[in-house]
Amino acid sequence: MHLRLIYLYRNLTRNPLRTCLTCAAVGLPMVIYVLSSAVIVGMEKFLDNSAKQLRLAVAHKASIVNPLPDGYARKIQSLDPTGTRLTAVCGMRWIGGKIENDPRLVSTVAVDAEPFVNAFPDYQLTPAEKDAWLKDRQAIILGRGTAAQFGWNVGDRITLRPSLPPYTPMEFHVVSTADKATDPLTNWCHRTYFEEELKKQYPEAPQNMVSFFFIKCASRQDLDRFRIQIDDLFKGSIDETKTQDEKAFMNEYITQQFNLPRNLAILSAVTVFVAIMAATNTMSMNFRDRFNEYATLKAIGFGGGYVFSLIQTESLGLCLVGGAIGALAPYAAFRFTPLRNVTVPLIQHLEIQPIVCAYAIGIAGAIGVIAAVWPAVQAFRMKVVTALRNLE
Amino acid sequence: MALPLYYNWRNLRVRKLSSALTFIVVAVLVLVLCVLLSFAAGIRASLAASGWSRNLLVLKPGATAESTSIITPDEYGRVVQAHDIARGPDGELLISQELCTQTSIPRRNAARNLANVAIRGVDATAFLVHPEVRIVEGRRFEPGQLEIVVGKAARDRFENLRIGGEVRLGRQANRVYRVVGVFDTGGGAFDSEIWGPRAQISDSYNRRFISSAALRLNDDLAATGTIAYINGPAVALESKRETDYYAELAKKTREIVFLTTILIIIMSIGAAFAVANTMYAAVDGRRREIAMLRTIGFSKAAIITSFVTESLLICVVACAVGVAASLLFAGSRQDFLSDMTWTVLAYELRITPGIAATALALACAVGVLGALAPAVRASRVRVIEALRKV
Repeated sequence: MHLRLIYLYRNLTRNPLRTCLTCAAVGLPMVIYVLSSAVIVGMEKFLDNSAKQLRLAVAHKASIVNPLPDGYARKIQSLDPTGTRLTAVCGMRWIGGKIENDPRLVSTVAVDAEPFVNAFPDYQLTPAEKDAWLKDRQAIILGRGTAAQFGWNVGDRITLRPSLPPYTPMEFHVVSTADKATDPLTNWCHRTYFEEELKKQYPEAPQNMVSFFFIKCASRQDLDRFRIQIDDLFKGSIDETKTQDEKAFMNEYITQQFNLPRNLAILSAVTVFVAIMAATNTMSMNFRDRFNEYATLKAIGFGGGYVFSLIQTESLGLCLVGGAIGALAPYAAFRFTPLRNVTVPLIQHLEIQPIVCAYAIGIAGAIGVIAAVWPAVQAFRMKVVTALRNLE
Repeated sequence: MALPLYYNWRNLRVRKLSSALTFIVVAVLVLVLCVLLSFAAGIRASLAASGWSRNLLVLKPGATAESTSIITPDEYGRVVQAHDIARGPDGELLISQELCTQTSIPRRNAARNLANVAIRGVDATAFLVHPEVRIVEGRRFEPGQLEIVVGKAARDRFENLRIGGEVRLGRQANRVYRVVGVFDTGGGAFDSEIWGPRAQISDSYNRRFISSAALRLNDDLAATGTIAYINGPAVALESKRETDYYAELAKKTREIVFLTTILIIIMSIGAAFAVANTMYAAVDGRRREIAMLRTIGFSKAAIITSFVTESLLICVVACAVGVAASLLFAGSRQDFLSDMTWTVLAYELRITPGIAATALALACAVGVLGALAPAVRASRVRVIEALRKV
């Protein structure tokens, strides 16, 4: 065993240049694999959190952009007058928003303040934040990504111009930057404040409409039950509803944006394929260079299995080292360097999960095994006589 | 004197497996580059084909797109006062009141997932203000009828939008509109939309206001003055050239190009290493041969050129194959949801000459960078030492 390790080490260091080049050719595709998987996992995490929250999203049946009257909240709540099964019904209106002289969109949603706190316990607002949010009708909870992007802190007064009527600048007071929330982008403000402004500045526009309702249920059974009951409740009315659980609702939106998860998965598959090609290339060159050696090994009595495993371990070792570097470099880069401030749509901060790195190293190992199959089999089958005949 | 290309060709054929693997690596790299860039090119081409510099789009200030804009009749009445609005054949002002809304329609793919398709309620003037909108099949909708015409891209991409198809529109999705025509703008953004008579759409959606107004100017030069008038206190709306509006939407593609650049840089470095690896092996296997060449009088430069050419040969052919493979994807219809308009824009993947040139440049760069170090090593082979081994 000891001998084998020495031989392996010598083999890898025999042509350091080739070893380095192969490490890089395997490692760099792993960088891409890790980055794209991190985005996919980030999105899944986002969706999984949505699924865990036992929330229903109620939107207009015809299209998500058709508004619903906010009076529906009371009707929905009446399905469970005790308030123990349906614990919160929160009306929401997407109002967009921009700051002066800046093209970036500050995606803001006006919500019913009190139900919001109950419907989104995953925001984990502190009692002080909760208090400030409920007391101040101009309060705004910023997504931490948005806050970081614009350099806003708790206590700041900010002015946003909604992208919808009334279009006039509105002042908000930052009460929280939602550090625990999974959604780092969306900002939340009071719907009452928005409606007041709308009435004051733009009385012609339709009032008291919401884009959708988010409803918190007490259990999974309630979730399934109310999903059907809510749609039944409004069947035949002017504005029929379409109720989905939060995950399905979010997913519909994500797949429309370039279908990012699917396309990234294809991309990582392609890069892994490239890495296999690169590694196979090296191993076949190594094998050809050492043809004589393997022949000699066999001639002096080492079995085909020994030579087979020698080639396999070498390739495995090589790819594992390359894969480890390729997986850990982005991990370190996105954790300890300014790169951690890079923003990605939807998930904002690219968090490279250790599990993704582990997968990458595993895949690198698999690449190593696959790459060495052909040379190793050839070595295994090699007839000593023929091999020795070729000796120079 | 240079070594003949035939020599390189023969050399590549000696190491078939190694050459083939390098070839595949470069071809895949080029394929990924072309496909990724074809997304951006498709979107840009679609938006570049949209709008006229002689047309102004009038929106409510603060609204980010037509779908979130509301213009009241009062405001519209002031827009009409603007000078320099062109007149049509019957002397009418070429200004089109448009009502933009949207509906969910399943895509024509296996998943049948829903897409937000834009619906535009327009009057007959719209076809004069947007002359690029030509009916290519069927006829225009009749005012007062529940009829619609659909863009060519929308018809191909979304379900049930062929002529004779029926779509349920309206706030309650209870008005059945019939598709009576298909229009084509030559790949512009309108091609992803559904157009219907404004009065009917307005009634179906219970909308009393228009979203935007598009107007045609007498000449290009009038734009600055008219924009100043409309954006000024007299009208207090926001107007811009249509071309500028679409250019702004096209900014979204920068994200794709940026992402592609990063990915391709990483992948190309990997590919360059793979090429270098192969070339080093080629050089090491041919030390005696190189020494021989040097002895019979080939210069160091000729040796370097020969090895670089050899690597370029692989890369250029691989590039050609990669681009050719990417052409299989060209023309496939995609759509994306703009976060400004909240509607989907259908577009075709496009492999432009620019993309092919970029691919070729990349393949050459990979080939040269990968081969340079091995070629230099080859040129340094010491003649005496190598010959001694013969």
